Amino acid sequence: MRRLLDWSYDAAGSLAAFFVFAIFMVMICASVMRELSIKTGGVEDLVAWFCAAAAFLAMPHAFRHGDFVRMELLISHLPPVRRRVAEIASLALGTAFCAYLAFWAVRMTWGSYEYGVMSDGLLVLPIWIPQLSFVTGAVLLCVAMADELVCVLRGQRPTYVIAVEERHARGDFTEDI
Amino acid sequence: MSVVEIAGVLLAIMMLFLMGGVWIGITLALTGFLGLTLFAKTPAGEGLFTAFWGSNASWELAALPMFIWMGEILFRTKLSEQMFAGLAPWLNRVPGRLMHTTILGCGIFGSVSGSSAATCATIAKVALPELMKRGYNEKLALGSLATAGTLGILIPPSITMVVYAVAADASIIRIFLAGFIPGLILMLLFSGYIMWWSIRNPDQVPPAEPDMSFVAKLRASGNLIPCTLLIVFIVVVLVKGWATATECAAYGVLGSLAIAAQSRMLTWQNFRDSLMGATRVSCMIMFILAGAKYLSLTMAFTGIPRELAEWVASLHLAPFALISVLAVLYIVLGTALDGISMIVLTSTVVLPMILKAGFDVVWFGIFIVLLVEIAEVTPPVGFNLFVLQNMTGKDSNTIARASLPFFACLVVCIGIITVFPQTVMWLPDVVMGVAK
Repeated sequence: MRRLLDWSYDAAGSLAAFFVFAIFMVMICASVMRELSIKTGGVEDLVAWFCAAAAFLAMPHAFRHGDFVRMELLISHLPPVRRRVAEIASLALGTAFCAYLAFWAVRMTWGSYEYGVMSDGLLVLPIWIPQLSFVTGAVLLCVAMADELVCVLRGQRPTYVIAVEERHARGDFTEDI
Repeated sequence: MSVVEIAGVLLAIMMLFLMGGVWIGITLALTGFLGLTLFAKTPAGEGLFTAFWGSNASWELAALPMFIWMGEILFRTKLSEQMFAGLAPWLNRVPGRLMHTTILGCGIFGSVSGSSAATCATIAKVALPELMKRGYNEKLALGSLATAGTLGILIPPSITMVVYAVAADASIIRIFLAGFIPGLILMLLFSGYIMWWSIRNPDQVPPAEPDMSFVAKLRASGNLIPCTLLIVFIVVVLVKGWATATECAAYGVLGSLAIAAQSRMLTWQNFRDSLMGATRVSCMIMFILAGAKYLSLTMAFTGIPRELAEWVASLHLAPFALISVLAVLYIVLGTALDGISMIVLTSTVVLPMILKAGFDVVWFGIFIVLLVEIAEVTPPVGFNLFVLQNMTGKDSNTIARASLPFFACLVVCIGIITVFPQTVMWLPDVVMGVAK
């Protein structure tokens, strides 16, 4: 179970990275094609969908990796027991919100599928296809939040805290703006 | 309930979540949700979906992962070593000598990277040991590295500027262009301070290195050519208006990959790490932007920003007074929040106010970036302080004290752009024509 969950977060993360790479490739190809006066209509829509896919699919992975920022000024000074309470409260709120987000992602995307809604840009496609990235990312983020909540309730330290500590101990600050 | 009361309730909820350590993006979205459900009586769910989808599925925003990736690739090359070796021979006769490598290094790396912490870490990793080995003053070096690292977000490309442009619905390229001259002014101020300090404390400046011949100097700088070409390329593309910001960023990535390949650092491991890192960072930022978009929906329904803007306008504050109040507000916020969150959190409310008071959206972007730079070097949560603390083991308060003179340079720079807004507006106006 543990391995399956970790695998799915990382797989979605890798897929998101693929879409970042795809944005790069599409941008380069489009500018070359434009120089050769080949029509590149719809590229903007494609890039926008890739951008959404990159953002949504990476959510569970980025969250576990400790990249989601929060204000740590107060909670980092709390004694361990209270800190744990704060983590549990944050995770409970986070899980509830992500469940709501996932619910609406599924519901709205299902709606676009049922009514056959098409995208309204130059690139015409059933809109539910790009929106699948939203559904996948939101559902997995909800699972990741709940997963983390259960782990902390069982007495473990949150994965995202450990990940950041390890990263900074290595002297890696590339993921801090 | 009056608008003031609604605003008060929402602010209290948001503060509670923030201080409890709820993730920024979720805090924004939850506040938006509560605002919509409690005060606007509009369906909150559809709005949530539209806000998140609309915010992320954006062609403009695609520049963000590209610029971040570019910095991530270059961070994993030998660029900083080459930069030190290439810059050092030219600085022998300048008062302060090699100390200026910190400023120049950060300035140059800032022109290819959009992150302040990464710029600080990259340059400090090389410059700090070299400077200490030669006996330069440690306090001056730490202060200048911590503060000059923030040039990463002022000199384009800049992640902070992309976020501001998206949040403020302004042109990314215009704001990028606006950053060049303030960036140069700031570098001059920093270097000027180092010179002044070195002239006053000649006993604390180590002797010059043995002089090299002109040809040897050129040879030492030869390593910098690829990076210089990349910078020139980005600047030319931006200034000539050949490409959109996203295209420019994609070519930046291509150039960075080429530089990495040329220095034989383009391993599969580095490629994968940089891509995954860029994906995570952009995801984090886009998540905050999506949450903010949802909150701004609430704001539009309740009319808080409009009321606030009208209230501020009715006070007939002098523009300088308004700017000073905002500067203090951002410095206070900056002690607890990171720059991106600070900008996204405030833009919905502050921007209408600023525009109504007659300030330009581009000018305000540079102003806010400078304030974020200040926030990076003010304790308790200045991120550059934290970076250097981790690298040197020095207490972050010591580093903050060492940064004070450079902090003052930042304040002077804010003063300069406020008194002479042309320093910000001139370049974008010349290149892209006067807006509106």
